Amino acid sequence: MADQPTAFERFVQGILPENPVYRQLLGLCPTLAVSNGMKPALTMACSVAFVLLCANVVTSLIRNLLKPHLRIVVFTLTIATFVTIADRFLAAYLFQMSKTLGPYIPLIIVNCLIICRCEVCASKQSVFTAASDALGQALGFGLALSSIATVREIFGTGMFFGIRLLPSAWPDWVIMVLPPGAFITLGLLLGLVNWIGIVKSRRSVND
Amino acid sequence: MIYFLDIMLIALTASLINNFVLYYFVGICPFVGVSRKVEMAFGMGCAVTFVISIAALISWTITTMVLIPGAPLSSFIAGFFLPEEAAGKIDLTVLSYIVYIFAIASSVQFVEMYVRKFFPLLYRSFGVFLPLITTNCAILFACLTIMSHIVGVDNPADAWDIGRSMTLAFFGGVGFTIAIVIMSGIREELEICDIPEPFQGAAITLIIGGILALAFMGFTGVDSGIRDTIMPAPTEQNLTMAPLQAEILAQSDF
Amino acid sequence: MESSIKNTNLFQAWLVLLLATVFGTTLAGVQTKLGPVIEANKINETMEKIPTLTLGEAQAEKMTEQGNALVIEPRLIEISKNGIKKFYTVYDAYYKDGTRAGFVAKASGQGYADKIELLLGLDADASTITGLFILDQKETPGLGNKVIEKHWRDQFLNQSSDKGLVVVKGKSEGSHEIGAVSGATISSKSVTGIVNRTIADIKHQLILPPVSENDKIKENK
Repeated sequence: MADQPTAFERFVQGILPENPVYRQLLGLCPTLAVSNGMKPALTMACSVAFVLLCANVVTSLIRNLLKPHLRIVVFTLTIATFVTIADRFLAAYLFQMSKTLGPYIPLIIVNCLIICRCEVCASKQSVFTAASDALGQALGFGLALSSIATVREIFGTGMFFGIRLLPSAWPDWVIMVLPPGAFITLGLLLGLVNWIGIVKSRRSVND
Repeated sequence: MIYFLDIMLIALTASLINNFVLYYFVGICPFVGVSRKVEMAFGMGCAVTFVISIAALISWTITTMVLIPGAPLSSFIAGFFLPEEAAGKIDLTVLSYIVYIFAIASSVQFVEMYVRKFFPLLYRSFGVFLPLITTNCAILFACLTIMSHIVGVDNPADAWDIGRSMTLAFFGGVGFTIAIVIMSGIREELEICDIPEPFQGAAITLIIGGILALAFMGFTGVDSGIRDTIMPAPTEQNLTMAPLQAEILAQSDF
Repeated sequence: MESSIKNTNLFQAWLVLLLATVFGTTLAGVQTKLGPVIEANKINETMEKIPTLTLGEAQAEKMTEQGNALVIEPRLIEISKNGIKKFYTVYDAYYKDGTRAGFVAKASGQGYADKIELLLGLDADASTITGLFILDQKETPGLGNKVIEKHWRDQFLNQSSDKGLVVVKGKSEGSHEIGAVSGATISSKSVTGIVNRTIADIKHQLILPPVSENDKIKENK
């Protein structure tokens, strides 16, 4: 396993260089659906972080017992269990939020991000590495989600975390909190991230 | 008549008004990934429609027969161990997510084997997409929507039957096909366009998706319009209390 | 080292089965622990609105301060209209001494975008609307969803229930008039329509004396 990245590398990679949303284009469904405000976005990010961490740790613990053709079954079983737990907890302690998020919490099960991390990292590396990978990826996911939510909430409602930020003369761009706003915001931000990447690589070539 | 109207409105809502891709954002991965060529997009759409219908059939059956409190199968089995009163209250909805995802995964497997064996032509057109579909959010989303209309309702008469559930799933798949085929048509044209480098690929697809979503927003309200035309809401005249009711009111005051 | 064991089918199945058992037990534990909390959440969502909806905000607060609470009893009213059966969940609110404080009915109907679910409060003889609360809606943010705002809902307060309410553009003037949310006439009409239909459907059922209602429920069973 000499060529596998270390725990710290995994953690750092997840945040920006291999950001799940902007770089790998994984988990776009929840990214678009719950990013119309900071509160749902952060709740979603925390739920994904919980599921990702638990799934990665469990997968890593049993990685030596796994048979290749059964691994997807085991991953799915693990993920579905932890998603159910997260969903029950939200319904019990954050009832309004769980109503707002609706079906998007159970849809974490089919979020490619988690099964991809189980496959790429957790089924090959130690528990500690898998956990730090999960934290890094979850942080990256949360960062992406909150960047989109920031843009959409501020332009769409003039508020941030439910607190008025722009003057009340601001004509709320309602379209930003509606579905089209999600697509367009993510498209523009993705273009921006790509552009920064291109500029950086050009500069390093010139140097 | 009412039932037919209901079915029609569910179909209209699922396919156009609340389009799975452009309103609920499910199935974005294939929408961005497999929308380069119209034929591929259409094949993917057909595969999703096919699997979503089968998954809805299975999940409706499991939900009503096993998962909900008082479901025939679970209470029958529990009847051997528990008193009748408790057996009728067995609530297995906590297992629903696990059950659905495995129902989807296994139905995808079966569909793939079946289609490959008996319809080789069909398999050639969309068989390659079948394994990808397991992790397509649209399928699980349809199952969850059906479940929310069975479990979450206040009174049993409102719970969705198999007809409504299948309509939602099938037309959800049709809506997915419509969205992805339109998208692929636009992307074929984009090949010859001069797109700024950072926006090539996923970014421009998402922005076009946004414009499509904007266009599909125009369908909002069509369903309530149709409902009002066919079944007019009570007007002021027929709301005024009937004399008999007024009498009862007077009596109870007394 | 243990490759010979690992290659048998039984071992592979064991791992999956073991995991399934462990996860199943965990879920059962979670459900036993959290199930009642979730159920309570669902009921409380409606229940905690009832005093305000029947008595009005000021009096409901006063009652809570005094440590009094309403006795709330849910029941299901069945309506048969043109051969179609409809159900309404109605909560009867009583004072401690048994006199009736009012009713709250849960109703739903089609809005502009999706189903609108609301709670409608009526006074003790079901002649006046005492409150309106929107439980669930998916109307257009910024336009249609303004129907959830208090100052719009307050237009329904103290409207008499003997005549249907009418939606007018701009400010409402006379009684039985509800001013539409600007830019969202359909949403406003939907809510008003649900209120009108609910009153028309259940009003005469509500004010029957409570004793006969109980008998009726028994007969139905």
